[in-house]
Amino acid sequence: MNLGTRGALTFRLGDYSFAVRVEEAGGILDAERLAQLPGVFEPVAGVAAFRGEMVPVVDLASYLGIEAPVQDGPRYALVLTRGPDRFALLIPEIPKLIPGRELREAPPDSNDSELGDLFESVLENDQDHFHCLNYWRIFETIIPPAGSSAGRSTPMERGN
Amino acid sequence: MAAGRDYREEDARPGQSSPPPAVLVTLAAAICAGVAGSLASGVMGWIAVGAVALGGAFFASRTAAPRKMAAELGRARRLLLLLDRGGSAEAKVPPDFVEDWAQVYEKVNRLSFEARGNPASGAQVEQFKKQVELAASLVRDGKDPLVEAPELRAGPLLPLLEGVKGSSSLPVVSHLSLGEEEELIGAGGDALPPDWPKPSSDEKAPVVGPAFEAGLRDLVREIESLRTTLAGAANGQTPSAGEDPSLRTPAQLVDAVVLTAADGIEDLAAGLMRANELASVAERVTNRATLLALNAALEATRSGSEAFAAIAEETRRLAEFAREATDTISRLSSEIEYKVGETITAIHATSNDAKTALAEMSGSSAPLPSSRSARVQVVRLLDRSRELLKSLGGSAEGSDSGPDGPISIRSSQEPRNSAQDNVENAPGPAEKSPVEGILLIEGLKPGAHFES
Repeated sequence: MNLGTRGALTFRLGDYSFAVRVEEAGGILDAERLAQLPGVFEPVAGVAAFRGEMVPVVDLASYLGIEAPVQDGPRYALVLTRGPDRFALLIPEIPKLIPGRELREAPPDSNDSELGDLFESVLENDQDHFHCLNYWRIFETIIPPAGSSAGRSTPMERGN
Repeated sequence: MAAGRDYREEDARPGQSSPPPAVLVTLAAAICAGVAGSLASGVMGWIAVGAVALGGAFFASRTAAPRKMAAELGRARRLLLLLDRGGSAEAKVPPDFVEDWAQVYEKVNRLSFEARGNPASGAQVEQFKKQVELAASLVRDGKDPLVEAPELRAGPLLPLLEGVKGSSSLPVVSHLSLGEEEELIGAGGDALPPDWPKPSSDEKAPVVGPAFEAGLRDLVREIESLRTTLAGAANGQTPSAGEDPSLRTPAQLVDAVVLTAADGIEDLAAGLMRANELASVAERVTNRATLLALNAALEATRSGSEAFAAIAEETRRLAEFAREATDTISRLSSEIEYKVGETITAIHATSNDAKTALAEMSGSSAPLPSSRSARVQVVRLLDRSRELLKSLGGSAEGSDSGPDGPISIRSSQEPRNSAQDNVENAPGPAEKSPVEGILLIEGLKPGAHFES
């Protein structure tokens, strides 16, 4: 079964498991020290340095309204790339890399409809199933791309 | 005293006659020569007279020389004997008089010893003898030696004569003449007078100086102080129970054991906290290694390069190895923290049980335990504390029992107590947070501070 990906980075947030395709992932970095930005939306946790560039970090749990257990441990930032654009998702654990051969497409259940247009697909393996979201849509709802009147743009529109 | 006693015993030996004087020997030799001359005639008669005369003279010289030497030695020894008896503390004489006798005796004794090989000392002995004879003759005549003989004022007999003058009872030696050997002690085999010096007619007490009285009072005061101190020690009035460990009570011993164990556990807990800090650092390093491995695997997956994938796989294994080691360290640290807290609780419970038992024994109508039974109880408490510490040491050495295994600090044959029941019935480390153990450690001793 061709999923169109070589693998996925999976992580758990509250009671949900999410996955990011490796083609979208740019890397993982330690988000122990984030630079706070003034006057931004609450989901924006700050900015972090990734390979010489400043990358905005979005708290996914805060954005989705998931009540994750408060912990004082280390946090990590999963950087997503789309051409020259990058942003990162703030996650509470180091994600796991699952090869594509171990993943398969799963039918969405009724709860996935709550995600609306953020829902993209569901992947699963023998232990768990993972929600693949349109993460760039989340980013664009927070930080609209320059020159976009609607505040949102699809990857196809941006030539990616 | 010894010299006088030896001389007296030697002279009083029965059956031993003194040698004949030289005059008698010479007279006997002349008589023999005259008889020989009257019997013999001619040259042979004169030869016999001459031979008898020479033999008599030789015999007289052989007998007279040692007798003269013995007489001189005997005179000196008798003088020492008299001075020794006069300087004895047992003599009933005033203190100043005794001291004077002692000084004179010491001086004469030293001069006699030095006179054996020193002519100058011999001359001093001769001069001293003359002064003694002069002083004795003046005293015997009832005159004051210091007034009649001014040379005695500069001699060694001055303090003695002043003491004699100031004393109401004159010693016998003042009436004796050193030249009259038969009157001296031991010359004729006579024993010493029973009480010497002779008591005076009136029973007036001797004059005692104020310095002597003050010294005697000080001595009595010191002896009384020493007696009081010794009596207090004999009655068990120790200065402080904490100064001598052997004098501690069982309760104090239990406290000491608990404090010692608490100090050791506190040090162990401090080291444990430091180990936790290092473990957290190791965990951060492990996280970085894991991130590195994940990024490598991510790039290998994206690129599809097998070489990159191999490197990423090795990096992942290294990160997993570090992760396992860090997890093991963290788990052991948590277990040790938990067991330290439990041990502290058990020690406190044991201490309270021991104190309660001691209080009950002290307050009950039953007879108090003997020192032996008290020692046995203390030994049992010490063994119990040692077992608690051993359980702590076992947890630090190895954790084979696992976090969910029961904490056993005694064998099943041993009697149970409340503290041990608390330990065994307590939940395992997995069910109890290590922070509680730290809190227990912090509450162990006032002032203890741990940084988590």
